[in-house]
Amino acid sequence: MITLYDYELSGNCYKLRLLMSFLGVEFETEKIDFYPGLQHKSEEFLKLNPLGQLPVIDDDGLVLRDAQAILVYLASKYDSSGQWYPTGDPALLGQVSQWLAFADGITGTASAARLHDSLLYRHLDIDSARAGAHNLFRILDEHLYFAELDGQDWICPGDHPTVADIACFPYIMLSEDGGIPRMDYPAIRRWCDRFKRISGFVVMSGVFPAGPAPAKEAEQAA
Amino acid sequence: MTTELHSQWIPIASSSDLPLRHVYQAKLLGREFAVWRADDGYVNIWENRCLHRGVRLSIGINDGRELKCQYHGWRYANRTAGCTYIPAHPADAPARTICNNTYPAQEAHGLVWCGEQAVGEIPALDGFETATTLRPIPINAPRDFVIEALTCYSMADGCAGLVNEDGSVTVTAGDGSAVRLFVQPCDSNHSVIRGVVNRAAQGADHIALLRTHSQALSALRRKIEAQAAQLEALEPMSAPIGRVAEDLVDIPAASTDGRNADLRVQVAAKERTAEGIVSLRLEPLTGSRLPTFQPGAHIDVHLQNGLVRQYSLTNGPGETDHYTIGVKREPDSRGGSTAIHDSVQKGDVLAISVPRNNFPLRRDAVNTIFVAGGIGVTPLLSMARTLNSQNLGFEFHYFVQSDEHVAFKQAIGEFEQAASLHKGLSPDETVAVLRKVLAEPGHARHIYICGPGPMLEAARQVASNCGWSDEAVHFEYFKNTVELDDSNSFEIDLARSAVTLTVPAGQTILEVLRENGINMGSSCEQGACGTCRCGVIEGDVLHQDVYLSDSEKAEGKSIMTCVSRAKSDRLILDI
Repeated sequence: MITLYDYELSGNCYKLRLLMSFLGVEFETEKIDFYPGLQHKSEEFLKLNPLGQLPVIDDDGLVLRDAQAILVYLASKYDSSGQWYPTGDPALLGQVSQWLAFADGITGTASAARLHDSLLYRHLDIDSARAGAHNLFRILDEHLYFAELDGQDWICPGDHPTVADIACFPYIMLSEDGGIPRMDYPAIRRWCDRFKRISGFVVMSGVFPAGPAPAKEAEQAA
Repeated sequence: MTTELHSQWIPIASSSDLPLRHVYQAKLLGREFAVWRADDGYVNIWENRCLHRGVRLSIGINDGRELKCQYHGWRYANRTAGCTYIPAHPADAPARTICNNTYPAQEAHGLVWCGEQAVGEIPALDGFETATTLRPIPINAPRDFVIEALTCYSMADGCAGLVNEDGSVTVTAGDGSAVRLFVQPCDSNHSVIRGVVNRAAQGADHIALLRTHSQALSALRRKIEAQAAQLEALEPMSAPIGRVAEDLVDIPAASTDGRNADLRVQVAAKERTAEGIVSLRLEPLTGSRLPTFQPGAHIDVHLQNGLVRQYSLTNGPGETDHYTIGVKREPDSRGGSTAIHDSVQKGDVLAISVPRNNFPLRRDAVNTIFVAGGIGVTPLLSMARTLNSQNLGFEFHYFVQSDEHVAFKQAIGEFEQAASLHKGLSPDETVAVLRKVLAEPGHARHIYICGPGPMLEAARQVASNCGWSDEAVHFEYFKNTVELDDSNSFEIDLARSAVTLTVPAGQTILEVLRENGINMGSSCEQGACGTCRCGVIEGDVLHQDVYLSDSEKAEGKSIMTCVSRAKSDRLILDI
């Protein structure tokens, strides 16, 4: 059984809850009091992850840290279709890896701004965090705009979302908590709707569900 | 502050930014909008703010017909932005005054245009008859600064830019290719560049064209933003949110007769929908919006012969561009149904009241059972279409004489799986079917019944025998067949008005109120529709209506002032 060391308000932990829900993988959670308890900095937790960061999983004794690394591990092990982490296609795999690294950038900016505004991490440079997030959002919005024109729904080519979509989604969706509006990114906003309609989607605090998708024929007629 | 820009049409989105079931967020001159396209194609531009707690509607759910706020689930209708349902008050119809602010919208040249007080026409784009709409480029710089910089935009050799009268910029290249760029002023230091190119393109060429401009405009943006960062920061724009929209000001004025016909509609279609039943499609004379209705609502139709009749709307949610009613030719017509069948024609203008809802639908039931008899199908049809559109569970039982008597087949087809037709049953057979249909009362289960008097009585009796509580059984009579007794005289004390009046034999409470200048809304004036309901503070009521349930009558806290009277010498009314 997988144990997820989890904090409810963490977007990085949410990434793993999302993937395991999409895959129908059962897991247990060990609640970590991130705020205000700072339990992730406790001696006990540092033995699990010396970086003092969430999330961490324990899968039958294999202990892994880092949301993106764990996404790759879980998709490789539990997604027999190989669609969430497509190792068979080098070009596609390269793109997935590229956007996983991009997601790290989103965490470093949009999540940092959210920590500053919502969880009182006042030592962070809020202006630079927000500006950095906007810069990344501009790049992703342009990418998704042209992907849509090409008939693509997801960040990487193909008919199926990948772990790159999961890695980018939470801190984009929670960006308003850090004072980063998404009004300027209509293609990102449409992609968020599509993401929320993936079968098995779950919400977290601050993330609302999408309404039902339009019927295909109505969409085409429009 | 209102400026000249507030009366201009300005693009705030690309048409492709509004796919079905999506809510787009925009800002113009400091005012935020929630923008959404309904399934019928209509583009709604609303204040981005739920009237309840001020939550942004741009995070809400577009279900194709209504927009639902994520916070407490308030629902607003397509076109009118009127509130149709408040989950915290499931048994009540929201007041018509709950209506969001709407703003003018037009779609042209692949763009969606808005203006808070827009007048006149969208700019004519001569030379852009075949065009490609560019990817929008948001930019952190003031509008005027961006316009100035755009005159230097260059996408090919020999480009020359000039500023048009409307503030847009036309850039023409040596090869004749041209682009027209519009700057949407979101706020004092925030704009969006939108544009069209004077050529259509397909496939890879189309994408290449868009990519070229996206990259060139992004490069120009970097320059403009670097320069704009040196400017003195401007104060953000303020956009005060008005309390009410224009629609609201049109709420019927108080008057003395209480049966107002404030709306003028045109009969856009008159069709035979079943044996002896015609449907009328009523459309507004101007514009494309009629006041918000809720499922179960009815309108008064003022006929050319002076008669006033009530008809339920059959519309599905969000269909606020027209009303549809069904009218059965009554064999013992007193002139109403005959006039509609024989005299009213397509193209005629009719005076109608705004919709009233005295038959509200709960949307929090785990299961809802509709029992329709004959023409009683009309209000239940609107209700069923609403539940169906929200994927809420229901059964629809429709009792008719024969196949030929099935009205509104197409609308019923929307929820075929939930509909059961019961044809040609005798009264005893009907009761037998109802016993099965109504066999299982339970928590959060509700019945809605509408049909001819005897069938309605039978259904209520069966429901009662099966153990359904009065609160779970909702019904609407077409007419009141109770023999009215108006032989006594009594006094009414109007608690809020501090007035005492005498109701003599032969007159109704409603008539006495009106004679004394007290306005009371009414509709059917025969104790069936519920419009003239009034609270009773003290006194025994002689109930002669068919609107209130037996328990409501026993409770004695309400009275239908058009037919009911006092048993005691005096009634204290909550007016």
